[in-house]
Amino acid sequence: MVALTLANLKMMARNRQAIFWALFFPLMLVVVFGMFDFNGVGVADVAVIDQSEGPRAEQFRERLKAIEFLDLEFEEITAEEARRKVEDGDLGYLIIIPELFDDPEGQVQSDGPAPVTLLYSTRNPDRNQLVDGAVRNLVSDIHSESGPVIPSQLLTSDVIQVPEVDYFDNVLLGLLGLGIMTNSIISIAVRISTFRNQSILKRLLVTPLSIWKFFAAEITAHVLLALVQAGIILALGVFVFGGHINGNIIWVLLVTALGSIVFLNIGFVLSAWAKSPAAASGMGNAVALPMMFLAGTFFSTAALPWVLPQLSLALPLTPMLVALRDIAIDGEPIWHTWPYLAAMGGWVAATALAAVKVFKFG
Amino acid sequence: MEPAVQVENLVKRFGSFTAVDGVTFSVERGEVFGILGPNGAGKTTTLEIIESLQKPTLGRVSVLGLDVQSNAAKVKARIGVQLQASAYYDYLNLKEILSLLGSFYPSRAEPATLLDQVGLSDKSASRIAELSGGQKQRFAVAASLVNNPELVILDEPTTGLDPQARRNLWGLIREVNQRGVTVVLTTHYMDEAEILCGRLAIMDHGQILALDTPRNLINQLEASYTVKLTMDQPMTLAQIEGLNGAVEVVQSGEQDGEDPVAENTYLLRLANSPSALQAMLEEIAKAGLGLENLQITPVTLEDVFLELTGNELRD
Repeated sequence: MVALTLANLKMMARNRQAIFWALFFPLMLVVVFGMFDFNGVGVADVAVIDQSEGPRAEQFRERLKAIEFLDLEFEEITAEEARRKVEDGDLGYLIIIPELFDDPEGQVQSDGPAPVTLLYSTRNPDRNQLVDGAVRNLVSDIHSESGPVIPSQLLTSDVIQVPEVDYFDNVLLGLLGLGIMTNSIISIAVRISTFRNQSILKRLLVTPLSIWKFFAAEITAHVLLALVQAGIILALGVFVFGGHINGNIIWVLLVTALGSIVFLNIGFVLSAWAKSPAAASGMGNAVALPMMFLAGTFFSTAALPWVLPQLSLALPLTPMLVALRDIAIDGEPIWHTWPYLAAMGGWVAATALAAVKVFKFG
Repeated sequence: MEPAVQVENLVKRFGSFTAVDGVTFSVERGEVFGILGPNGAGKTTTLEIIESLQKPTLGRVSVLGLDVQSNAAKVKARIGVQLQASAYYDYLNLKEILSLLGSFYPSRAEPATLLDQVGLSDKSASRIAELSGGQKQRFAVAASLVNNPELVILDEPTTGLDPQARRNLWGLIREVNQRGVTVVLTTHYMDEAEILCGRLAIMDHGQILALDTPRNLINQLEASYTVKLTMDQPMTLAQIEGLNGAVEVVQSGEQDGEDPVAENTYLLRLANSPSALQAMLEEIAKAGLGLENLQITPVTLEDVFLELTGNELRD
């Protein structure tokens, strides 16, 4: 028994590629989880329109900047534009500093300074409370320096009602993307690696079958499987757990198919590098799992530090999830998601090129 | 008609290692051509170049009159290949695998007929994992025939099989050849090469050492028989040397190839003459030696190989 255990350890140690990926994967998860700020509510993106431009408004803006969880933009944006963005969920908050903000003596307006408007949607109630409180405190703080104020009159909250979005609906689509991604990457990488190890690929190579037909057949079969998988995940989510699909299911499936192709291509690339099916599985996990967290499958990527929220946009799962949510939750037509589809198209082209370049039959 | 295979000055290098070193031969249509050699001799590399799986470093290979490098797809469509170690899809049954492989070719044979030819009709709904070693190899031959090929290339078709399964497969290869299909096979079994092949190339270290019919290769040897004498007492050197007609003597305690020679046993290689044997037996009787056992075996390709390479077949 001791001899066998030792021999097993020796064999495991010699399968270096598999051991590397086996270690790499849990370490990667520790790093990824460590980066999330689960205690906070994430960073709130805020646009500020300053109609006053007076010294007090200036002070207000400076002190807004100092609030850690607010990510301020002072871009030129009209109130209508900003309102639309908030409604669509592309912007969290809009602060409008009124023209008469700097009117402490009430020369123009007798009953005190004009109120600041804070515009937001009902999408994120916890964060709304926090932002509303912070901005309200700051406004009254600034005005109270020149005399007594009535805090409730200093800030007007303008709340846009958006259709109720269940956290589960978000997660359901996240799970759909996750399922398609892991299944496509890992199953193709392991399958092709197994075929190569067993010389099945070599056997195919002695036939006149052209290589592109081999790829096309593998991709078609897996995409069909992905669509069935998507159907099952969504049916379970909607009919058993009460999720909602507000958009056109055909568009949802189209985005699913496109995403599946990207991940299958990634699987082909990994299979070319993996020396064994075990290594292929490890590599697949190492690629899929960090992406699962960094692309906002379960949690908003806003909870990520540093440039990671922006970086997450560069991952192929991110545009897939955004397009899926826009279509399925917000009920948008597929052509409204074109920037994300274009990003996915770019990924299809890039990964196909890489797969053709590195793929080996023998 | 062009030969089935024409190989001219073929060289294949992998870095500094030369796997095939200037090989030239041709295979006529309708023959069974064997390449015999130990592992690492360059047999498989040569076949893989013929199959257009690998590119030659130097030299030219044409199959059925077509240059393999410029006509890979056309060549592949007309030949059948059984690789040395190849598996088939786990989750398809035999009939489904043959239908799938057949679908890659312009001309295809009926899976049921192929399975019948290799004696696997009753296994058509089985999967590969359910087959014995011999059945797997027979299936591999069937799979190489899915496109009604003019030439089949079998790389070590009987390696790892028990004697009965090997004989069974030899019968199958002969049947395929009798239907007019040219067969090129590699083997490291001497008996197989001798029984199956019309002509034989003996290869070692990437080179062809001899190429002829098995009979001619054997006839080239000075000795034609091996006589194994087991005596009732040890023989002296003078007595051994007195045995007329012995080309080579291997004594008790020495090695014959990898096998040690038993006590009081002597192996004598004799020239091709019955009188040599007669003279030898007379010498033994004259010396008053008692003979406990006598075995006479004709020289085989194994001896030819030993003579050519100075080595046993390496496994």
